[in-house]
Amino acid sequence: MPKSHSSFPTVWLLLLAAALAAAMLGCSMLGVVHFGWDEMWQSSIFWNLRAPRIVLSVLVGAALSVCGAAYQSVFRNPLTDPYVLGISSGASVGAAVAILLGLEAYMLGVGACALVTGLLTIVVIYRIASIGNRMHTTTLLLTGVCITFLMSAIISFIMVLRQDKMDSIIFWTMGSFASASWTEVAIVAPVVAVGIGIVLYYARDLNLLLAGSETARSLGVEVERVKRVLLLSTTLMVAFCVATCGVIGFVGLVVPHCLRLVLGPDNRRIVPCAIFAGGLFMLLCDTLARTLLMPAELPVGSLTALAGAPLFIYLLYKNKKRY
Amino acid sequence: MIELKNVTYGYTDKEVLHNVSVRFDTGGMYAIMGANGCGKTTLLRLVAGLLSPHSGEVTVEGKSVKQYSAIQLARRLAYVRQYPQTDFEFSAFETVLMGRNPYQRRLQNESQRDWDIVEQCMKQTNTWHLRLAKPNQMSGGELQRVMLARALAQQTPVMLLDEPVSNLDIAHQFEILELLRTVNREEQKTILIVIHDLNMALRYCPQLVLLHQGGIRYQGATPQGLTTDNIRTVFNIQANPITIDGEATVLRLEPQKATP
Repeated sequence: MPKSHSSFPTVWLLLLAAALAAAMLGCSMLGVVHFGWDEMWQSSIFWNLRAPRIVLSVLVGAALSVCGAAYQSVFRNPLTDPYVLGISSGASVGAAVAILLGLEAYMLGVGACALVTGLLTIVVIYRIASIGNRMHTTTLLLTGVCITFLMSAIISFIMVLRQDKMDSIIFWTMGSFASASWTEVAIVAPVVAVGIGIVLYYARDLNLLLAGSETARSLGVEVERVKRVLLLSTTLMVAFCVATCGVIGFVGLVVPHCLRLVLGPDNRRIVPCAIFAGGLFMLLCDTLARTLLMPAELPVGSLTALAGAPLFIYLLYKNKKRY
Repeated sequence: MIELKNVTYGYTDKEVLHNVSVRFDTGGMYAIMGANGCGKTTLLRLVAGLLSPHSGEVTVEGKSVKQYSAIQLARRLAYVRQYPQTDFEFSAFETVLMGRNPYQRRLQNESQRDWDIVEQCMKQTNTWHLRLAKPNQMSGGELQRVMLARALAQQTPVMLLDEPVSNLDIAHQFEILELLRTVNREEQKTILIVIHDLNMALRYCPQLVLLHQGGIRYQGATPQGLTTDNIRTVFNIQANPITIDGEATVLRLEPQKATP
């Protein structure tokens, strides 16, 4: 039996928050230009390039992890990640088209295009999967997977046709924070803040949904409404994240699972911890992405998998004894 | 009081309940019986608000079930489904604690009172020793008792139980039905039980609703309902209900011989 009456993981949250704050400061000093503590605060490289990038990576990491936790509970499926509904592939097609049309030259041109196509994809998928005002989750998942394949095929097609643009498209589909600016932070931050707030608000309902939607309903959850609100807010978060930094995989799948292995299944513990753990993980991966092969940049999406997979496998292995 | 008025419900191609009207009085303990597939579970799910009738109306305390919010309904009706879902990692304690959800405000933790109620309900159902167990570490019967504990923790005036004792050994069947009779008598809880054992129904449920082919075959006192004739019609079984020491019992069950 849990010893404390509170489900709120105060100690874990404080530890994770402290680690995140320390990492944000520490990572700020690293890079092509190394800073000392004092010079950092006066450097325009720090204020205009590095700081927004760090803040953005933390925001996106937090958002993806929280969305992953929410999706896994709503769909009652441990394999779901924030991209399962096809939003990322839809956005990628938009970005690829934008790159073809040369919209990279315009500020936010690719991002805006990606946002629009990502959201359009989701609307189409929801239309297919909804029966009356109910959402059939299995159909939703299958449609999402199907659309993802379709969109990937379109992207491959575009890349073969225009091999000169292949590099930028590939880089986009693997995700990068290289172009982060305060503008992007200002666009993403409010969406992420509101979205995470909504998921936190419904954290207990997520637990009940995990026990089955019929059980949830008979214990007082307005299942269809809660699902709709959660899917809408998480979808918007993911859409904005993908539009600003491309498709960064693995974070949304693995961070909630790692937390679950450590903290148990209660979403009231997992969701708040996912904010800091997800932010921290993404920040560390992005710092590696920009420092490992300096001055070259690696796509951060490859590093999340490279760093995350062994950690996850280790945790799974360690937990094997419990079964 | 719960009332179904001219309720019809069907799944895609098959009508399960046809023009059913039945009343469950407050404080009653009802056995809902009938052959497999006759609509017992559908009836409970309609009352629980999990299904909406195609025609007719289901009312709880004089108000249509549709007009209640999920929370309001969860404070009035506790529903335990037939096959508990087990594909999650919550401990038995956490599972029972979920029964307190209808009384909790958002972003608020469980109070000491919630914890005490959970402990009491788990002790009542003899599951307190299982409080740390995960669903995959429990037997079917243990799981069923945990689900019953959760329903008790909901502290509702009405309990809807879909085969609550079908996975239990005979000792635990008695234990659970004794417990249900106690809460029925002492707390005036209305209890609807889907149950298959004729003698258990006779012993514990004074009232009977007997379903047959999508309609009500009988509603009223249980001993008067479980007649040789009714049992033969509904189950196609030959049985002899008799009275031993003033208590009705069904003896000598035999499969009905095929009539030439």
